[in-house]
Amino acid sequence: MSAFLVGIGVIVSLELRQRVRTVAWYVLIGVFVALVAIVTVLLKIALGGFGADNSGGAIFSAIIYFVLLLGTLVAPALSGNAINGDRDAGTLATTQVTLVTTWQLILGKFLAAWVTALAFLAAAIPFLIYAALEGGISGTAILVSVLVLAIELGVVAAIGVGLSGILSRPLFSVAVTYLVVAALSVGTLIAFALGGLSVQSDVRATTSYATSYSSTGQPEQCGAPQTTNYPVPRFDYFWGVLVANPYVLLADAVPTAYEAEGYPTDLFGNIKLGVRQAQLPPDFTTNYDECAGDSFQAAFETPREIIDRTTPGWFVGLIIHLVLASGALVWAWSRTRTPAAQLARGSRVA
Amino acid sequence: MTTSESAAAGIVVEGVSRAFGEVKAVRAATFTAAAGTVTGLIGPNGSGKTTLMLMLASLLKPDAGHITIAGFDPTVDPAAVRSRLGWMPDVLGSWSALTVRSTLEYTGRLYRQDRQSAARRASELIDLVGLEALADSPTRVLSRGQKQKLSLARALVHDPAVLLLDEPASGLDPAARVELRTLVRRVAGEGKTVLISSHVLAELDEMADSAVYLANGVTASKESVARAQAGVRAWRIKSSDDAGLVRALNGAGFGVDALTHERGEVMIPLGSETEASTLLATLVAGGVPISTFAPAVGDLEQTFLGLNAEDQP
Repeated sequence: MSAFLVGIGVIVSLELRQRVRTVAWYVLIGVFVALVAIVTVLLKIALGGFGADNSGGAIFSAIIYFVLLLGTLVAPALSGNAINGDRDAGTLATTQVTLVTTWQLILGKFLAAWVTALAFLAAAIPFLIYAALEGGISGTAILVSVLVLAIELGVVAAIGVGLSGILSRPLFSVAVTYLVVAALSVGTLIAFALGGLSVQSDVRATTSYATSYSSTGQPEQCGAPQTTNYPVPRFDYFWGVLVANPYVLLADAVPTAYEAEGYPTDLFGNIKLGVRQAQLPPDFTTNYDECAGDSFQAAFETPREIIDRTTPGWFVGLIIHLVLASGALVWAWSRTRTPAAQLARGSRVA
Repeated sequence: MTTSESAAAGIVVEGVSRAFGEVKAVRAATFTAAAGTVTGLIGPNGSGKTTLMLMLASLLKPDAGHITIAGFDPTVDPAAVRSRLGWMPDVLGSWSALTVRSTLEYTGRLYRQDRQSAARRASELIDLVGLEALADSPTRVLSRGQKQKLSLARALVHDPAVLLLDEPASGLDPAARVELRTLVRRVAGEGKTVLISSHVLAELDEMADSAVYLANGVTASKESVARAQAGVRAWRIKSSDDAGLVRALNGAGFGVDALTHERGEVMIPLGSETEASTLLATLVAGGVPISTFAPAVGDLEQTFLGLNAEDQP
C-alpha cells in the first residue's frame, strides 16, 4: 500500500475514533433501525390492505428513500464541521505540521464521513433483503439503487467536508450543508413547479360535436368546428431542474420492472414515469371531430413507451452532483493548504 | 562545528514579514538560533511572536524574507522541514476522545512511523513527560498543565532536530517547570535547536543561552540590545544592620534620595557590573554584614524593559 493511502487510512481511523464512535452514535443507529422496522411493518400492513400482490417492491423503494432521507439528514452534522471544528478545537494545526498532506487530510475526513453515512445503509440491509425477496426485485435494480444511494450519501459527505474547509465557523458550515441538501431535495421541486406554472402556452383546441345521431347512436351530422384557446403550464422547459434532485435521480436511475400492461410495479418506476412525462411538450393544437370517429384517447401511450422514448436525465444529475462534491473538496483543499498564503478574515491557522 | 554550520542546522530568519490584511503582525524579523542552543523569543503581547512561530512551523507563508529550518525552506519544502521540526503551539488542543497513549501513537503514525515504533515511542514519551498515571485516560480529563505535557510529548514524537515551544511553561506547577527546564537543556545538549517563547522572563533566564527580542513585529538589533543591557539597573542589597547599610551607602556617595526600601531590602541604581563590584567591596571592607547583593531583575527582563523604554517616544 502506498504511503499516500496509509496516510489517508490513519486520518480515517482517527476521525472515526475521535468524532464518530461514541455512545450517542450507536443510539442513533439503533433509533434508525427501529424506524426502518416500523416503516416496513406499517407498509406491509397498509399495502396488504389494498390487496396489492407486489408490496415488496413498494417496501423496497420506501426503505431506500428512508435511508436516503436519514443519511442526508445525518451526514451534514457529521461532516459539516470536520475541518473548521478541528481548527476550533486546536487539533488541525498540530495535524498539519506532521507529514500528512492536505489532500490526505481532506480525503481522509471525507471518507470517514462517507463511511459513517454508509453505516445507515448497512444497518438497513436486513430490511432491504426482506423487501427484495418479497417483491421479487431484480438483481440489477437492487445493485443500482444501493449504488446510487451510496454515491448520493458520499456527495453529501463531500459537500459537508468541503464547506467545513471553506467556511470558518462550524455552525455556519453545518447549516449551509443542510441548506445545500434542502436546495437539492426540496428546492429543485419548488423551482420545477413554480417554473412550469409561471411559463404557460396557449393550446388551440378545435372541436366539432354531432348535432344528430342515428338510431344506433352513431353521429350523423356535425356542427361547425368551434375553436377555444386555453393556457397550459410548460413543465417541459423545467424538467432539467429535477435531474439534480437526489430522490428523482435515484428513481430515474433504477431499472423499472413493468406489469403486462406496461405500468411500473414500484414507487421508483412511478416517480420515473412522472418525471419523464414532464419532458413531453403539450399538444398545441388539438382537433376533435365526432363525425370523423375521433377518440380522445387516440394517442394513448403506455407508461413503458413514454419511459422508453424520453431522456434518462439521471446521469446528468449524477455528474452535476459529482462536480459539486469534488469542487467543494478542491476548494476546501485550497483554503486549508499550508504554508497558508491567505487566511479568511477573522480566522487563524492555530 | 563552526558557528555558521551550527546556525544552518538550526533556525535562520532573514527579513521576514507577514501581514493579515491591514495588520502587520511581523514587519522585520531577523535572527539565527544555533544548533545545540536554547534561544528565547521575547516580546510583549501582540508583538508577533506566535505569527513568527507559525511561519517557522511551516503553517504560514511569509510575505517577504527567508527562513531556513535545519537547512530547509518551509515554503519550498515543507515536508523536509516538518520531518525535522517539533512544534508545541500556544493553543492547547487535543483529540478529546482519544487516550494520551493513542494520541501519541496517532501522531507518530502521522509522521509515517509504523505501528510498532509509534507505540514504542508513545511509551517512551509518556515516561519522559511523566503522564504514566494518565496514559490510558481520554485527553479530555487532563488539566491544563497535563495538556501542556502531552503537547510537549507530541512535539517530540519524531525526535525533531529543531523544537519550537510557544509558551511551554504556562499552567505548569513549579516542579513541572523544573522538569521542563531539565528536558529543554537536555534536548539542546543533544545538539538540537530549541526556540522558546515565554512571558516568564525569569524562567527563560535560567534556560536560554541567548534571546531574540521582538517588539511590534521587529526584532531588536544587537546594538539596541547592548544599549538596553548597558543602562542603569536596580540592585538589591540586604543586611541585618539596615541603619549601618544606609550609612555606608551614604558614605559611598549614594544620597538618601537614590535609595528605596522594599521588603526589608535596599534598592539602589547602578550603571554597570563594575560599579556593583566596587560598591560591594567597599561595603564589605566597611564591615557591613551583607546577606544579599544581586540585580533586582534578571538579564532578560532588564533588556526587555530597557527596549520597551527605548521604544516609547
